[in-house]
Amino acid sequence: MELYSTIKQLCLCPSVSGRENKIRQLLSSLVEPFCDELSVDKLGNLIALKKGTGGGKRIMLAAHMDEIGFMVTFIEDNGMLRVAPVGGISFVGAAYSRVISESGVKGTIVPNAKTKPEDYKSDCFYIDIGASSKKQADAMVGIGDFFVVEPHLQKLKGGRVCGRPLDDRVGCAVLLGIAENLSECVLKDDIYYVFTVQEEVGCRGALPSAFAIAPDMALCFDVTATGDVPDASPMACRLGGGAAVKIKDASVICDELITSRLSEIAESKKIKYQREVLLRGGTDTSSMQLSGSGASVGALSIPTRYIHSPNEMCELSDAQACIDLATEFILSI
Amino acid sequence: MACIELIKKLSNAFGPSGCEREIAQMIKKEISDIAPDAYIDRMGNLIALMRFGDISASNRARIMISAHMDEVGFMINEVKEGGLLGFDTIGGISESVLAGRRVLIHGKNGFVDGIIASKAIHHKDKNERKKAVAVDKLYIDIGAVDADEARAYVEVGDFASFSSEFYEFGDGYIKGKALDDRIGCASLIEVMRSLYANAPSESIDVFCCFTVREEISLSGAKTAAFALRPDVAIVLESTAVADIAGVDASRRVADTAKGVAVSVMDRSTIYDKELIRLALDVAEAEGVKAQLKRYVSGGNDAGSIHKVCDGVRTLALSVPTRYLHSASCVAHIDDVCSQARLCELIVRNICEV
Amino acid sequence: MQLKDLIFELCAVPSVSGFEKRGTQRLLEILGDKLEFVAVDGVGNHIFRKCCGRQNAPKIMLDAHFDEIGMIVTDITEAGFLRVAPLGGIDAAIMQAADVIIYGKEPIRGVVCSTPPHLREDDELPEITALMIDTGLSKERASEIISIGSPVGFAPVYAELLGQRLVGKSFDDKACAACALFALINAPTSSLAGDVYVLLSCTEETSRLGGVTAGAFSLSPDYAMVIDVNLARVPDTKSFETVVLGKGPSISVSAATDVPLTRATQRLCEKKGIAHQMIAAPSSTGTNATSVNLTREGIPVVDIGLPLAYMHTYNELIDLNDCNTLCALISEFICSGEIAEQMRCLEG
Repeated sequence: MELYSTIKQLCLCPSVSGRENKIRQLLSSLVEPFCDELSVDKLGNLIALKKGTGGGKRIMLAAHMDEIGFMVTFIEDNGMLRVAPVGGISFVGAAYSRVISESGVKGTIVPNAKTKPEDYKSDCFYIDIGASSKKQADAMVGIGDFFVVEPHLQKLKGGRVCGRPLDDRVGCAVLLGIAENLSECVLKDDIYYVFTVQEEVGCRGALPSAFAIAPDMALCFDVTATGDVPDASPMACRLGGGAAVKIKDASVICDELITSRLSEIAESKKIKYQREVLLRGGTDTSSMQLSGSGASVGALSIPTRYIHSPNEMCELSDAQACIDLATEFILSI
Repeated sequence: MACIELIKKLSNAFGPSGCEREIAQMIKKEISDIAPDAYIDRMGNLIALMRFGDISASNRARIMISAHMDEVGFMINEVKEGGLLGFDTIGGISESVLAGRRVLIHGKNGFVDGIIASKAIHHKDKNERKKAVAVDKLYIDIGAVDADEARAYVEVGDFASFSSEFYEFGDGYIKGKALDDRIGCASLIEVMRSLYANAPSESIDVFCCFTVREEISLSGAKTAAFALRPDVAIVLESTAVADIAGVDASRRVADTAKGVAVSVMDRSTIYDKELIRLALDVAEAEGVKAQLKRYVSGGNDAGSIHKVCDGVRTLALSVPTRYLHSASCVAHIDDVCSQARLCELIVRNICEV
Repeated sequence: MQLKDLIFELCAVPSVSGFEKRGTQRLLEILGDKLEFVAVDGVGNHIFRKCCGRQNAPKIMLDAHFDEIGMIVTDITEAGFLRVAPLGGIDAAIMQAADVIIYGKEPIRGVVCSTPPHLREDDELPEITALMIDTGLSKERASEIISIGSPVGFAPVYAELLGQRLVGKSFDDKACAACALFALINAPTSSLAGDVYVLLSCTEETSRLGGVTAGAFSLSPDYAMVIDVNLARVPDTKSFETVVLGKGPSISVSAATDVPLTRATQRLCEKKGIAHQMIAAPSSTGTNATSVNLTREGIPVVDIGLPLAYMHTYNELIDLNDCNTLCALISEFICSGEIAEQMRCLEG
């Protein structure tokens, strides 16, 4: 698989938290050649198992397949849709973006005319789908329908890509890359590639999947923030700095046994890496750590700018480094 | 309607979070004819299993229906000099509905009446008059003359609840202190009776769970779901609505008397799409009044149930309730009937999903 | 070994929140010959036990968290100063010019930078993430020992004040851990009401649920006691939110723990004449007790507190008399056949 085209294919398949059926279908078809068993659990997590020869560990590798969006809560008499955020939407960033519903209805998300940007919150936003009345709107959408900011992705000159939702389709692409690399390898360990649901609303999906798998060890693949833009909070993580070995985020402190091993392998295999301490924002890593009897956890992150905005940006070489490092890590166990 | 008497009895009973035993015993007795094997688990949840169809079938569907028994309330945290009692709230109660209310304290030797009080308006300055009194400035007066007398009846850690009359008023409305969620408990009992009277033919196990401690951390349902491992859960709740004067239509959440409210998303759960569809389809086909919740607010037992073990597909059916978490919750009796009826019909059609 | 010595020894074990496994070896040196070591799990919980030797005996869990607040290195600047982020709730008011230890490849000393008064623009304290740590090393030298992600702790300094009062760092919660371990070490096997496990749990200070959830899940005890420090009354605090130093351990009544077990423990203390203080924690105890209670099908739990002043500073203060009383309370609890029987009856 070519990394950029995989990421793009995944980005262009809108699937908001709790309604991940489309992306799940796509990922099923992409991961199927690299695994022995495919299953979907009750919340919708996609679990692909590559069976080991026995006597090994249970290793869970996870990336979330959902994305942030909006849910329609009310339809005004004039046909405008009132919405609630699904996950951590930045309304300042989303204002006046084009949006699209699960069923393909297009529109734009707009703040009430007199609301100032500093007062933006979900109650003062509406989606205009071009309907002239409630009746016309009712024919196209209903309460409980989900919208996302329209997906798009392009390559910038120099190897970086810009678009959405890189969070976390780039992580899904990394997981597919690892699965492809390992597909021909004979391993003792059972490897579970898990594409989780509902990460953006509080790391919910990873909990039951980790419970069912009960892994000895789990690695998460998600985006992380960077400190390499003007006025950023200090953070020693940058685009092009390589795979980010997560030490900590707001929800988890990773097992030192894993983080030090990842660093050592990166050094010895000459894979570009950096160490990540993320102060705000959590990941599925925490859910996997504390599900059931708990697991030893780590994470590799893809440094990404402008996360949760309509234009996220990352560098393909960093994603590739995550694939390479994770592959070597699994092979070294 | 028989249902109203049951709601009245349940709503008037004492059961703040952590102190639900009286409610559990009351319900256990109420359902003893149709569920003699109902048991109280170690968290205090009351659980009744109803089995239908072919008992020996291997792939029996497991359905959990939950309604929480607890209500918001208070805990005594200090016996002050002079015999007044300091207290704090259990569950989310707005300070604005506290002052002047009657309360009932479950003391060490039985129930004690009291009032929530603070200084009179005459002693309040201009700014104080504009604001609700903070909980730590309020106290409960049980009429004790000093701390020693108070200690003879009450100790630190005692539970208390609102004490307020239940009545019917207006056109089909009911008012009571603990409609949240004794309404759901009454509905669940109704569902059990209907299923008992007319047993479904499908091979299903229905776990009827009257849960504890929803108001503090959605907790009893979590441990019950862990023990029962259901495939599907239906939560019977009451949801806070504001279909009242002065509230913009887009923020009313749902309307009383317009049917049971089906949730798509709240602060703790995104609900299962196919179950929502089933609920709406069945409601339409059978002429049960139902509406979608039109605002994202609150949370309920679904929040903990759906993430338990390897996950549970979950649906919430709520009775729109005004003035939730006050001494005077108001709901419409027709909505309670819709809740019970729709829940029963979903159980009968559950094998479609 | 004296209780006081055990407290000081445990407090000196490096175990900044999230990095508890660094303390495994030292813990085994201290406790290995006194209690059976069961495991250190994937998350970082350490488990010790003493069995009563009877078949089908109840499983009793004593939990005290073993992590301590600290910081984590987030960057090494060109000049060799360290940028950090807090691990747990650190009070910015105590940080200026504080002594710290950076746990890199080896432990090294550092001092938190402090801007001199004449150069300060306002009175506002910098946030922890705005602090720098001075190691006296160049970036190159520092990078040989320290890396991004290295934990940082307060320098251990302990002292005895008047009247059996002790000051030092990380009494929260290692003083309680010491009491639980001490009580179990000294309890004769034959007197135990069941098999008793001490869970030295991890990440209480940094994780919403705490590593205790994983530990309690795998142990699956019949009932449990969570022992953590409780805020002592000092000037400008509210009486109903605090406990009094020297008046014995606190017992919290809470809707988020098991009320029957709580009242049974209270009655046990009353019967045995063990000093204790009742405190109301209506909806949450703010300790591991809530997490333990909600594990699996629900685990009955009682929440016990050791009065402690100046929490989350490097000079926390406790009263050794309270520690002794706490040990007595724990001993009675783990040896109480009455409570074991009551818990058995509650099942089903």
